Amino acid sequence: MIQTIINGIMLGGIFAILGVGMTIIFGIVKLTNLAHGEFVIIGAYASTLLANALGVDPILTLIITIPLMFVIGVVLQSVLINRVMLQGSEPALLVTFGLSIILQDAMLLLFSADAKKANVPYNSSTIPLPGGLYIPVLDLILLVISLVTILVLTLFLRRTYMGRAIRATSDDIVAASLMGVSIKKSYAIAMGIAMATAAVAGLCVGMRWTFYSSSGSSYLLRAFGVVVIGGMGSIPGALVGGLVFGLAQAFGGANYGLLASYIVLIIMLIVRPQGLFSK
Amino acid sequence: MKKAENLSTRQHRIRVLGGLPMLIIGIVIVAVLAVLGLTDGSGNTQRILIKMCLYCTMACMWNLLSGFTGMTSLGQQSFIGVAGYSMAIMTATYGMSYVVGWIVGGAIGAVLALILSLILFRMRGMYFAIATWVIAEALKTWFNSWEFVNMGGGMFVRGRPDQTIIFVLSLVLCVVAIVLIYFLLNSKLGLGLTAMRDDADAASSVGVNIFRSKLICFVIAGLFCALAGGMYYLNNVSVYPTNAFGISWTVSLVFIVIIGGVGTMAGPIVGTVVYIALDEVLANFPGWSNIILGLIAILIILFLPDGILGTLQKKLHFEILSQRRFSKE
Amino acid sequence: MSEPILKVEGVQAKYGDFIAVESATLDVPQGMIVSVIGANGAGKSTLMDTIAGVHKPTAGKVYFKGEDITGMPAEKLVTRGLSLVPQGSRCFIRMTVEDNLIMGSYPKSARGKLKESLERVYELFPVLKQKRNDLSGSLSGGQRQMVAIGRALMTNPDCVLFDEISLGLAPTIIKDIYARIKEISAGGMTVVLVEQDTQRAIRTAQLCHIMLKGKVVLSGSSKELTDEEIKKAYFGL
Repeated sequence: MIQTIINGIMLGGIFAILGVGMTIIFGIVKLTNLAHGEFVIIGAYASTLLANALGVDPILTLIITIPLMFVIGVVLQSVLINRVMLQGSEPALLVTFGLSIILQDAMLLLFSADAKKANVPYNSSTIPLPGGLYIPVLDLILLVISLVTILVLTLFLRRTYMGRAIRATSDDIVAASLMGVSIKKSYAIAMGIAMATAAVAGLCVGMRWTFYSSSGSSYLLRAFGVVVIGGMGSIPGALVGGLVFGLAQAFGGANYGLLASYIVLIIMLIVRPQGLFSK
Repeated sequence: MKKAENLSTRQHRIRVLGGLPMLIIGIVIVAVLAVLGLTDGSGNTQRILIKMCLYCTMACMWNLLSGFTGMTSLGQQSFIGVAGYSMAIMTATYGMSYVVGWIVGGAIGAVLALILSLILFRMRGMYFAIATWVIAEALKTWFNSWEFVNMGGGMFVRGRPDQTIIFVLSLVLCVVAIVLIYFLLNSKLGLGLTAMRDDADAASSVGVNIFRSKLICFVIAGLFCALAGGMYYLNNVSVYPTNAFGISWTVSLVFIVIIGGVGTMAGPIVGTVVYIALDEVLANFPGWSNIILGLIAILIILFLPDGILGTLQKKLHFEILSQRRFSKE
Repeated sequence: MSEPILKVEGVQAKYGDFIAVESATLDVPQGMIVSVIGANGAGKSTLMDTIAGVHKPTAGKVYFKGEDITGMPAEKLVTRGLSLVPQGSRCFIRMTVEDNLIMGSYPKSARGKLKESLERVYELFPVLKQKRNDLSGSLSGGQRQMVAIGRALMTNPDCVLFDEISLGLAPTIIKDIYARIKEISAGGMTVVLVEQDTQRAIRTAQLCHIMLKGKVVLSGSSKELTDEEIKKAYFGL
């Protein structure tokens, strides 16, 4: 029981970083990004394949994948999504949906339907704790990576001009533009950041579980769950949401983890459709 | 003030293709389809027409939800899948006729819609959309590990009738669905629905019973998606959780309605014809079909936001089947 | 009179088919307090939004410091020294007071003077200094208005448009804020005040423009305009 809780907390970081990208887009761009799951899987493929090709630890591939995904996000938002958003939120939702099915099948063509996983020597190492309990090393590393990413992101949003501009955009686009903020640029940077977090989330997914080209939707729905629990645009909320889904995954185990997560999500939607942390 | 005047003048300019001429055209189309299908025996034309009728039924229902009541569902596959399994369980497990399987599937679909409405109607917009999807995914995960339905291994339907019978039933189902939606949207309820989609608060303040109207539409959509789904899996014979509850159903429906024109009554019909034609062609390029469909959908949203029919209607100022949204002008 | 810092010529602005401003022409001389008066729905706010680049005009021209700025977006205008305090303050409610003010120095032209500007705003509104680390969403209406004004001043503007800053505030707070605006103006800044309260506007401003149904119907210096004239123009009698 206590061991399951420890495992759940460890996994919480992965689900938090999964949800952070989604919550940023929700909160700032006011867009439901149905392609976020595919972005995460792209990150997973990128890390796994790069690590194999270069013969390095998958974690090191973040040096390449984070900037790469950031640029892709900025371009995607500037070229496509900013244009569609002029037509309203529903067309934008459907465009991300179209993007999701395109990416899913493109990955199937490129990488086949085989299961993939980024293996490392410390895959099943553990740190013993008193009382027969233990901490899985891999999970601990992934938790630290997720938390560091979230911390850096929080500092960026709090302390820099660009970060403040993005938060201002999320609060009031008219007032932000009166302060000299270009809304389209804010959106593009926000999408870039969301993609960069998807690179980190993808690394975690790829190292922790086997994944397929079609795994995106199950991660999208949990990312959405994190947002529902944490409230749109709330990063501390995403941490709490991540913890909830980490525990659901740990208690459900390999067979029922996904079902348990869906049930938690449905209950959350019934009880607090606007999120726990939103006003 | 000025806006209202403008709208009423525009309304006068639109030629509505409805009433008797439309009825005649409709009967002719149905008759041609019936002749085409019936003279083909069990051939390819019949197979394609069955697919067309069933997709058209489901797409019209999706359009009723998304285009006319503002409930964008990404989870109509819940009803399709449940009905597919009802068909298999009734015919294979209990050895009953497909007619029983079909009716039971439809009934379960309607009841499921009623139950889900309790959960879903607390949400709006994207929360609603994602919640419908989560429910479908949860059903898929459940069926995947439920022994009674042979888990991920899937089931087979027994006692499949002649394809011609399936064709006739599909055609009837499709015609009933379109006629029903036509009358629904031209009733007082339909007017209230459009008002509700455009501004739910304002509509409720002028006395539109939002909950009742939404519920009627949602249950009708659940019922007809289930009936179409049951017929589809009767024809298909095998049913698996991954395809019965798969998001690809929603992909097809969204695509059909976007191509045809969201919120236009005849849009899904036009969209279905285009979609089935594309689907038949793309079957020769395995793996690429969703990529191409997705690209076409995005291009249409970018350049023809009203869809094929919506754009034609705007350009030519005519309308097939009246009931039109006045918003977003 | 010298060349006006802001010139509006025959500006028209619509929302969809609805014409909010039919044709507005007015001058704002450098360094003055100018008021735009009018009843509810006269088009004052739309005109301000259009000048500041929040809303695009459908006809007419706007000149600022002699340059044509018609249709230029707000984020560009603020770097040229034109700032708007929008109606209803519109603070960034999930950001602290200080972060709100720092947002005002977002334009590259204003970043260098961040520290001095911040000190000046805190001097003008000492209460903001006390509450610098509070979320602006937790402030009272008057304090939010101060944040909005301070934020606009942080952009280092030459001309500020104030859109109905007295709306919904208690009389003592209005008095205090108007005193600050006079201070701001005394520092050499050009001020445009949008008001529904004609008396207060005339007392504060040197020049008045009166709008009615989307048009500027009367303009003149506060001293020359008679109550009778203003009343006629205001109500369209």
